[in-house]
Amino acid sequence: MGMSVALDGDARQAAAVKHAEEHALVRSAQAGDRLAFEALVRRFDREVLRLALNLVHRPEDARDVYQESFLRVYRNLHRFRFECSFYTWLYRIVTNVALDHLRRRTSRREDQAPVPEEAEGGTRDFFDRQPELRPAANPEKHLLGQELGEHIATALNRLSPRERMVFEMKHYQGLKLRAIGEMLGTSEETVKNSLFRATRKLRASLDGMR
Amino acid sequence: MEQDERDMSASGVCSEFEPRIMLFAAGELDAAEIAEVNDHLLHCAECYAALARENELLALLSSRHVEPDAALLAGCRASLEDALDQEEERGWLRRKIGALVPFQWIAPAPAWSAALLLLTGFAVGILGPRLLRHPVAPGVASAPIASASAGTVATVPPDSNNPADTTPGSLDLHSADVAGLNVFPSGDNEPPQVELQLRAQRPFTVQGTVNNDDVKQVLMYIMQNNQRFGPDVRLNAVDLLRARNNDPDVRSALCHAVHTDQNAAVRMKALEALNGAEPQQLVQQTFLDALVGDQNPGVRVEAINGLREMAAKGQVESDDHVLAVLRDRMQKDPSTYIRLQSAAAIRDLGPRQKF
Repeated sequence: MGMSVALDGDARQAAAVKHAEEHALVRSAQAGDRLAFEALVRRFDREVLRLALNLVHRPEDARDVYQESFLRVYRNLHRFRFECSFYTWLYRIVTNVALDHLRRRTSRREDQAPVPEEAEGGTRDFFDRQPELRPAANPEKHLLGQELGEHIATALNRLSPRERMVFEMKHYQGLKLRAIGEMLGTSEETVKNSLFRATRKLRASLDGMR
Repeated sequence: MEQDERDMSASGVCSEFEPRIMLFAAGELDAAEIAEVNDHLLHCAECYAALARENELLALLSSRHVEPDAALLAGCRASLEDALDQEEERGWLRRKIGALVPFQWIAPAPAWSAALLLLTGFAVGILGPRLLRHPVAPGVASAPIASASAGTVATVPPDSNNPADTTPGSLDLHSADVAGLNVFPSGDNEPPQVELQLRAQRPFTVQGTVNNDDVKQVLMYIMQNNQRFGPDVRLNAVDLLRARNNDPDVRSALCHAVHTDQNAAVRMKALEALNGAEPQQLVQQTFLDALVGDQNPGVRVEAINGLREMAAKGQVESDDHVLAVLRDRMQKDPSTYIRLQSAAAIRDLGPRQKF
């Protein structure tokens, strides 16, 4: 028990130090210190890229979302007033950029005529190009894994951009619904509904796969 | 039996617990709610199975979740550094302008951007030339100028407001600019020929002597809207209109120039042009106003000289008001010349007056 309290105290102290450092970095970056800005980027960019990659799937698109997000942060940093954490503010920008990207892609897809399926070896989703390490020795398992991946991609594509964003942020970024609401500029209840709809749609699409 | 009494959802779980199971799997319930769900799961096989399916679904989706590799992250960082270098090269000016102009709003809305550009262009086109032509002279309040201008425009003959009237004064003068004013001397006792080139939406030239009504109207318009035209143009207009100083409209325009023109030379010229006009209360009062109110001593000198000349011709009414003004100037005007001339004018006008 005593050990646990000591650990909690250490964690709180570490968090406070981290927060103070972050505050100082933001202040320096606002004053035009490029190195401070780059330090802020490095603090958060892996999470930003992970979110972008899992939302838009194509690495080139994820790179666009990453760059556009941090450029917006750079241009608007003088407007940040510390009314929320820098992390929340950053994610607000990232989610806006990513949602714009997803919406544009959805509307482009609707505008275009249906494209015939790619032949084997043609352009495929980033996830499909990932090496399947475990079933590598077993072609049948590899094929099943590929089939499953296609099903999951189809199921995720059936979600609206916002549902997909909420699902991603909740289950893969590990964020609380309240924090997601703050980042998306909406209430916790609305986020909860989006998550509920997303889960139902995914369950309906993937029921036969398990 | 107990199970049959429960309200079941379409997915075969208790309706009350369906959202809570999802939130349970998502780790969004507080301690009390977790205890409640756990308690329910001990007695409800359907909800227990639903929770298992939920966890299975998340595990399945997790299997397809990817972490960005180091190469991708390094590539993103390098691209961002290049972009930031470019951003810095553009300098602080762009950032300052960016803070004022909503580029991020404009960029994805081309229709609004086009509308905004059109509106800006239109506003600059309309307001720009006016602002350039209307410099407010130091020490001169803008409101009186505006009201004087508005007032004098009303003196334009009423028929000029008729759209069918094609005289320049009513047609294009409100937006016209004088591009050139040429005066060609005529023979003996003939008024000079005038050529007025006007730049408007439809440029036009007015030619003739000052006896020509179009010429007169343009010249009067220049004087009545004196803040729109240069002092050289106004001086020429006054000089030309002098030949018609007995025309009531011209007289009125000259009096207006004495009261409102910002340029002292134009005011002096207008007083000079009025000297010799048929004696009228308006002319006499204009001279007195200039003598009392004009800040420029040259204009006041012109006014007292004019009054004395008119008095010598018997064209000034020797009433109490005139004498009171002259007495006031005799005592208070900072110029010795004007004080002396005022005393002389009192003597001329009222020899029987006692000082």
